Amino acid sequence: MSFDVKYCLIAICTLRFHPEAQGQVLSDTMRTKDIPQVTITSDRTTNPNSVSASKKADSRLMQATGTLQVSDVLKYFSGATVKDYGGVGGLKTVSVRGLGASHTAVAYDGIIITDNQTGQIDLGKFSGSQAESVRMVSGPDNDMLQPAALAAQAAVISVNTGRPNLEDAKSKISAQLKYGSFNTLSAQAGSAFKAGQSNTVSLQGEWLKTKGNYPYTQSNGASSSQMRRENSDVQRLRIEGALFSDLSHNTTLTTRAYWFQSEQGLPANILYNENAARERLWNRNGFVQSTLTTDVSQRLSLRFNAKYGITYTRYLDPKVSNTQGRTDNRYTEQEGYLSGVALYRITDCLSASAGVDGRLSGLDGNGADQAQPTRYTVNSTAALKYASERFTATGRLNHVITKEKTKLRQAAESYNHLSPTAGLNWLAWPAAGLHLRASFSNTFRLPTFNDLYFEQIGRRDLRPERASVTSAGIVIENEASGISYSVYADAYNSNVKDRIMAVPGKNTAVWMMKNIGRITTHGLETGLEIRSQEGTVRPAMLVSYTYQRSMDKSDSNGTTWNHQLPYTPRHSASAVTWIETPYVNASCNLLYSGEYFCNGYNGPEYRMPSYCEVGCSLWRDFAVKSFELTLKAECINLTDSRYELVRNYPMPGRQLRFTATLEL
Amino acid sequence: MKRTLNKILPLLLITLACDPEPVLLEQSQVIADAGHSGVYVLSEGLFNQNNSTLSWIDFTTGKADSWTSATGYSFDVFEKVNGRRIGDTANDMILYGSRLYIVVSESSTIEILDASTCTSRKQITLSSNGRASQPRYLTAHNGFVYVCCFDGTVTRIDTLTMTADATISVGRNPDGICCTNGKLYVSNSGGLDTQNPDNTVSVIDINTFTEVKRITVRSNPGAIYADGNSVYVVSRGIFDYGTMNYDSRLHRIDTQTDEVVATYDIPILKMDIADGKAWFYGYGAGGTIQVLDLATGRILDSDFITDGTRIECPYTIKVEPTTHKVYVCDALDYVTPGSLLCFSPDGHLLYRVQGIGINPNTVGFCDENVNFSTYQGPSEIIGDIDRVFEYMPAPGQFVNLLPKYEEGDNAESMASKCLIALQSGYTITLGGFGGYITAGFNTTVVNGQGPDFRIDGNAHSGSAEPGVVWVSADVNGNGLPDDQWYEIWGSEQKEGRATPGYSITYGKPAADDGDSEWTGSDSRTGSILHNSFHSQPYYPQWYQGNSVSFTATLLPDNVSYQDGQYIMSAFGFGYVDNMPNSLENSSFDIDWAVKSDGTPANLSGIDFIKIQNGVIGCNTITGELSTEVTAIYNLNSKSQ
Repeated sequence: MSFDVKYCLIAICTLRFHPEAQGQVLSDTMRTKDIPQVTITSDRTTNPNSVSASKKADSRLMQATGTLQVSDVLKYFSGATVKDYGGVGGLKTVSVRGLGASHTAVAYDGIIITDNQTGQIDLGKFSGSQAESVRMVSGPDNDMLQPAALAAQAAVISVNTGRPNLEDAKSKISAQLKYGSFNTLSAQAGSAFKAGQSNTVSLQGEWLKTKGNYPYTQSNGASSSQMRRENSDVQRLRIEGALFSDLSHNTTLTTRAYWFQSEQGLPANILYNENAARERLWNRNGFVQSTLTTDVSQRLSLRFNAKYGITYTRYLDPKVSNTQGRTDNRYTEQEGYLSGVALYRITDCLSASAGVDGRLSGLDGNGADQAQPTRYTVNSTAALKYASERFTATGRLNHVITKEKTKLRQAAESYNHLSPTAGLNWLAWPAAGLHLRASFSNTFRLPTFNDLYFEQIGRRDLRPERASVTSAGIVIENEASGISYSVYADAYNSNVKDRIMAVPGKNTAVWMMKNIGRITTHGLETGLEIRSQEGTVRPAMLVSYTYQRSMDKSDSNGTTWNHQLPYTPRHSASAVTWIETPYVNASCNLLYSGEYFCNGYNGPEYRMPSYCEVGCSLWRDFAVKSFELTLKAECINLTDSRYELVRNYPMPGRQLRFTATLEL
Repeated sequence: MKRTLNKILPLLLITLACDPEPVLLEQSQVIADAGHSGVYVLSEGLFNQNNSTLSWIDFTTGKADSWTSATGYSFDVFEKVNGRRIGDTANDMILYGSRLYIVVSESSTIEILDASTCTSRKQITLSSNGRASQPRYLTAHNGFVYVCCFDGTVTRIDTLTMTADATISVGRNPDGICCTNGKLYVSNSGGLDTQNPDNTVSVIDINTFTEVKRITVRSNPGAIYADGNSVYVVSRGIFDYGTMNYDSRLHRIDTQTDEVVATYDIPILKMDIADGKAWFYGYGAGGTIQVLDLATGRILDSDFITDGTRIECPYTIKVEPTTHKVYVCDALDYVTPGSLLCFSPDGHLLYRVQGIGINPNTVGFCDENVNFSTYQGPSEIIGDIDRVFEYMPAPGQFVNLLPKYEEGDNAESMASKCLIALQSGYTITLGGFGGYITAGFNTTVVNGQGPDFRIDGNAHSGSAEPGVVWVSADVNGNGLPDDQWYEIWGSEQKEGRATPGYSITYGKPAADDGDSEWTGSDSRTGSILHNSFHSQPYYPQWYQGNSVSFTATLLPDNVSYQDGQYIMSAFGFGYVDNMPNSLENSSFDIDWAVKSDGTPANLSGIDFIKIQNGVIGCNTITGELSTEVTAIYNLNSKSQ
């Protein structure tokens, strides 16, 4: 391979490796006002009325699974494939239903987080303690007030911070200290208080530092050696504040300011004989976002969102054989976003909504060769929904139009794309709480700035990558003698067309991005959840199983025809069980992944063995005067299973973690 | 409800059951070429995946050597033999002497392997100031291998001591190296500065190992090839965002004047030269192979492949110099293991070996008889000797280096160093004519049918430094080599061309870098010349006397001068370090042992062996002829 290609690829890999996680905020308004007949129990993790497969992790589940980072709990969701480079600082992206990470949108309090440079959101950058709940919807959402940009996504992972529930108290203060293996220390403090009759203020700060120098076994053929991960230190600081204002009995305004900064080493690939990890990464991300929700009348509701965000990234390799002796890349991405949605209830059952989102995003970099693109995006959406006691049907049409400008060289053409989604949910057997559901979605992702403009690889003539998913499933949710249970099974077929991939161009020395691939996936997601809702001893259990057969359907004469998509196990499963007692609470969790491949060609050299990780924890609440103290001890990867999820990026072995939380 | 379930469940099952299974690649039959035993194919793997591999395609068995690794079947003979993997991004390989040299760019190592067994003899790590040097390409000349590294350096490796003994600076990010007319040519790409690449070719004088000139060429020079008095270098130019491509040209450099004398507007990616023609594939032409007349820059054949065979992504090209069969590696989509395609000289596909390795980038013809044994565990003792009784080299350029003399060493400690070296497969030298080593086998070598023992050296074609073998049986049973010695008669003694009992005396030079004068029993005189490549004293440092004498069988002079090169021809049979190592070339039959009167010794077995340099030869380029020994095997022991 010529060096140009090789180094461009390094660069693109590097960029892929540190996509920006931008936080965003706003309260979860999933109370589905338009169907008042149905009440949704807050601690259910499956939403039986949803037309699409929907999973939710509440605070209990996150407690039981030891969620340090939001990506940790997503591993327990069936249908989600988490690609994890290991450790706190290792990139963590989520692909849903074989569609690829860039088809999974991440929303922070209802507003989409975008990364126009790489298209990937690192879910490891969200701390478990900043999320009250995490929800994943794989397909069209029932929410009619969903902003247009989110409605156009194949799958949405929502990180919801929640509005502080102060009840009668004037204020709440909390502090938390965590200490864990490999010198991991985190401190967090938060407070929430009422400011006047109708305002609630929430403030939160979190600091995390880890050395992350966990041991791993480096195998090389017949031999293996014990190594320690180097340059995997991470330091992060997050400060956010939110103001929840009830402007009137039917109007709420939430405004959030967010600041995140980090410095980390980039965890190195195991490289036989050369383990000099030295690359550094700095991130700074700040934003202000606001959501106004108002019920103008019984029939008309409106929601407006606004956001401004700035993200700064610096990547440094201090030892490179170029003239400067280093690579020091700095990028600044700015974004302005405005959104409005109107919902009109035509009859008790029938409602219609329409929304428009406008976004302006620009990328600037320090390289002389940067295209410095700016993208104007307008997403619009129109939806119809019919919801009776036993029947829900949704239909939606999404449209996107973009315009692009660059300072250097030619900009990409405008995109103008229409995509529909539809869903059904039928309470087929009310006595058993049995629903049948089906959905269809046709979505797409736009080429990223890297896809279009990155040095010699980017190509301006890329089309959007299109995804379509057809899904059908069954969900039973019921409660009997204080025990709630739910069972679900969803089968789906998904197709990704015009996949954007780096391929050799018209000659082999110049690689380029191209719309070339096609992936077809058959899958099954199934799970069972049982929770005891009464009594002083409350056990709970959650089991899930995922089958995914993701086939490369790019070229019937190609060598990878029908081969399984990389990093996609055919079989994977998870189980969490916990018990709450007056004395102590305990949990045990298990993750299993069957064999998979780390490359599109399923040769034996790319086979990744199956792995199983087990963890457990004990915690207890103590009431000390007016304080509530929670002490928790966790063991992660109890059996010290040594595995790699991403080839050559070892995962940590056994870890201990202690947490003390104080609430007033 | 039940009815609905009954409808849905079969639907689900059908969905799950109709998944087609993936199909992996298949293999095809290989055809032999030009007397080679086969070809090595080096594959770089994927960047940062540590999956470089070395495959062997055997012309005798007609297929690629495969085995079952932990992950499944594998063509990687390197891992099979050495129990570990090559590393990350093995970028280039040459076969030189009886050894295979591989540069592993991202791991920043050089692997030195025995070409006949694939055993790694040495792994050299290259770094400077704590930064990996990233070796890229290599070439060899007169016992040295030269490696250009991306950190702007060229490193010299002594093939006998297997150490990097000198490093010099050249331009930025060298991306090609070749050798001709006593000079090295290195293309300085500067490719890590995409906006401001380098545009020079460094000329290095081999004898002084210093950069003597930088030739200015177009920007971003890469692949570089030597052909007699010309050097050809591909200059890629600066990436053009208008055409989204490079504007690549081929320069011809005259090595007499070291000037660019011609520039051909031909966008070559990689080529191989035979008989003044270059077979190449280029930028902008997909998988087309073309043939170029190097003297005129005229395209002789714009589409070499005549049978419609399609190559997705040519990744290397190699032309067999005599048969002109063309070997092309196809990297396919860069992630699937690629193929080796062999074409007849008229462009017909002869065969295709699929799945040979990921991104196969180098093909090397091998003439050795290969035999790969599966790795059995670490610290394996090579060979079947367990004692070295005496080591007395005559003065020579590797004496005090192979093995290394250190302050305080004496004859005994030098003998133990020789034992360790021979048991580890490292080379020892016998120095000039008469120098010898005496060793004992761990068990008696029984005189069986055919060859009974084997001695490996470092001979390669045109570089024979023959040593004479003596054997002895431990008749008195005292474990010491104090019994009757018998000479193994090779072709020269048999034909009466050898001079038995020739005596020689070497004087100790006054200075450490002085020449060692010698006088023979027939009053011939000469000297072992001190050269610039090896700076240590050549007279055995642990030996006290001011002169040292040897008596040995003198073989005929085997040195001749042809086409600007000294050729050291091999004798028919029966000598150490005479022909490239193989069972056939390096083995001896105890039946060849004779009494002093030349009649067969009729030994039933032997316990001791003595190897003695049998040639007096010296030239100004490679220095004196010195027999080198790397391993001694008992072919009739149970382990064989």
